[in-house]
Amino acid sequence: MAVYKRNYTAYTGTVTPVGARVLVLARYAFEEAWSSKITVGLFILCLVPCLGSLLVIYLADNPIARALVGGRGQEMLAIDAKFFLKIQQTQSWLALVLASWIAPRMITFDLADNALPILLSHPISRFGYVFGKFIALFGSLSLVTWMPCLLLFVYQGYSSSQPWAMSNLQIAFGLLAGSVIWIAFLSILGLALSSWVKWRVVATGVIFAAVFVPAGVGAIVSAVLRTRWGLLLNVPVMMSNLWQRLLGAPAPINERFSVPTLAIAGMLSLAGLVCVGMLNKRIRAREVVRG
Amino acid sequence: MGVIDLDGVEVRLANRIVLNNLTGELRGQAIGLLGPNGAGKSTLINTLLGFHLPSKGTARVFGLDTLKDRAQIRGGIGYMPENDSFIGNMSGVRFVRYMAELAGLPSGVALERAHEALFYVGLGEVRYRKVNTYSLGMKQLVKLAQALAHGPKLLILDEPTNGLDPVARQRMIQLIKDIRKEGSIRLLISSHLLRDIDETCDEVLILKNGRIASLCNIEEERRSNRSFMELETVGATERFSVSIRGLGCECATFPGGRIKLVIPDHIEARDLYVIAADQGVQIRRMNQRRDSLEDIFLRAMDNEQERTAHGSL
Repeated sequence: MAVYKRNYTAYTGTVTPVGARVLVLARYAFEEAWSSKITVGLFILCLVPCLGSLLVIYLADNPIARALVGGRGQEMLAIDAKFFLKIQQTQSWLALVLASWIAPRMITFDLADNALPILLSHPISRFGYVFGKFIALFGSLSLVTWMPCLLLFVYQGYSSSQPWAMSNLQIAFGLLAGSVIWIAFLSILGLALSSWVKWRVVATGVIFAAVFVPAGVGAIVSAVLRTRWGLLLNVPVMMSNLWQRLLGAPAPINERFSVPTLAIAGMLSLAGLVCVGMLNKRIRAREVVRG
Repeated sequence: MGVIDLDGVEVRLANRIVLNNLTGELRGQAIGLLGPNGAGKSTLINTLLGFHLPSKGTARVFGLDTLKDRAQIRGGIGYMPENDSFIGNMSGVRFVRYMAELAGLPSGVALERAHEALFYVGLGEVRYRKVNTYSLGMKQLVKLAQALAHGPKLLILDEPTNGLDPVARQRMIQLIKDIRKEGSIRLLISSHLLRDIDETCDEVLILKNGRIASLCNIEEERRSNRSFMELETVGATERFSVSIRGLGCECATFPGGRIKLVIPDHIEARDLYVIAADQGVQIRRMNQRRDSLEDIFLRAMDNEQERTAHGSL
């Protein structure tokens, strides 16, 4: 089909494998998310705590700096599981901010303009569509969670005068596993909620609300029923428990805020299933009108 | 092997039968899908695309099952939906490229074909504008461009002239005719506008209440049907009508020298002039018409009504 001739000719070249089409969706979703200056601004903001932590690690491994801060500062400059837990918590909550901005951009544009019939008329399944968006969101959140955290771990291993990395491998595992669980949860939650809300700003608010409002409800349940199972609705508490155990950091002093790991895993799985159900209901080429 | 084979297809949506026992083979280069609103045209298209699963029977596109070979079928189809369906935040060229890549074209080729497709449909000058700034006609054209860019074997156009002004409609019809003439693409065009189908299609499937009311080749149907003629005469009309009955025509006379007749295939208008000249009758006006698609459509609707009435008895 030559432009100057302006007549139609069929395409006879090669086509990409069907499995690779998911990556096309992921690439376009990624580009869409990062085309916004606000996304770039938030990304830079998310890296500020990492730079601070990098400085702390540098000082902790610098004998002159250690000598300067003296005895009281030694505790402040201790690079251990507790130190990395703080980094992970900070990065994870910043990832929530980033996810609540990015997730609606990935899905609400398609829904607002009714693009699903055209998108799904191509050789891509509904699962493929959601998976493509999930990859893009998971990848974006990885840039501010486990990737910088593991880089800090590697830097600490490199700059420590003692063989530090091998004896603290659980921290690396905890950083990776804890972050992956959290951003996978955030991704599926962000996509599910965005698919039900057409307006992006509202979708951003709804994602925040979905994390923090149940915590309040859980607190009321705990207070009224005099139980600690209300904590299972408290995402911040649940995740703090999980991250602390995965990193092998000291347990919190207040046992009232402790939840069994199995219950946390069950609750996260249940929330994930609800999100999958929401996506299944919403991501369709055609709506079936009941009646 | 037909383009589309339907074998007892039944589709239920929300426990309501929307398509009822559709059986037929569609072979035309351009197939028209006609029917009143709610007849099941869009549901049939959605079934062919694999969006709806038949509760009974099978539907095949180029011999591939719409249920089992969904991905393969979709790879060879270009679909232009009836309603607005695009990503408004993208430029025209980016949107078409995206769709072409999803259809399986490598990235560079998809970009090239996106430019070409947009020029082909007449959106070359506005291809860098965001789609949500396009007019309604432009949006229809960008949907056509994305359906064409990857070089499909079957192009499904659902109400392609919806909301277009007469000039834009004519342009769309001309594009469809050009695509049909090129020959490498089969077309399935759904519309409730008889004129659109009449101008572009050679085969028509007429649906009513989810059933096939008629499936026919338009040209053959026109040929096989009788030709009607209206005459306005001055002179011995009665004698003239007796003479033309003798040729094998069925005719009826009306006051004012008007005659309506059905002429068999072997009779030409010239024969009528010869008889008129012999009998000194003047033919002041002659109106000849073959069965239009409208006649075929109305007949199909009547037949369906009769069938429904018999069914209810």
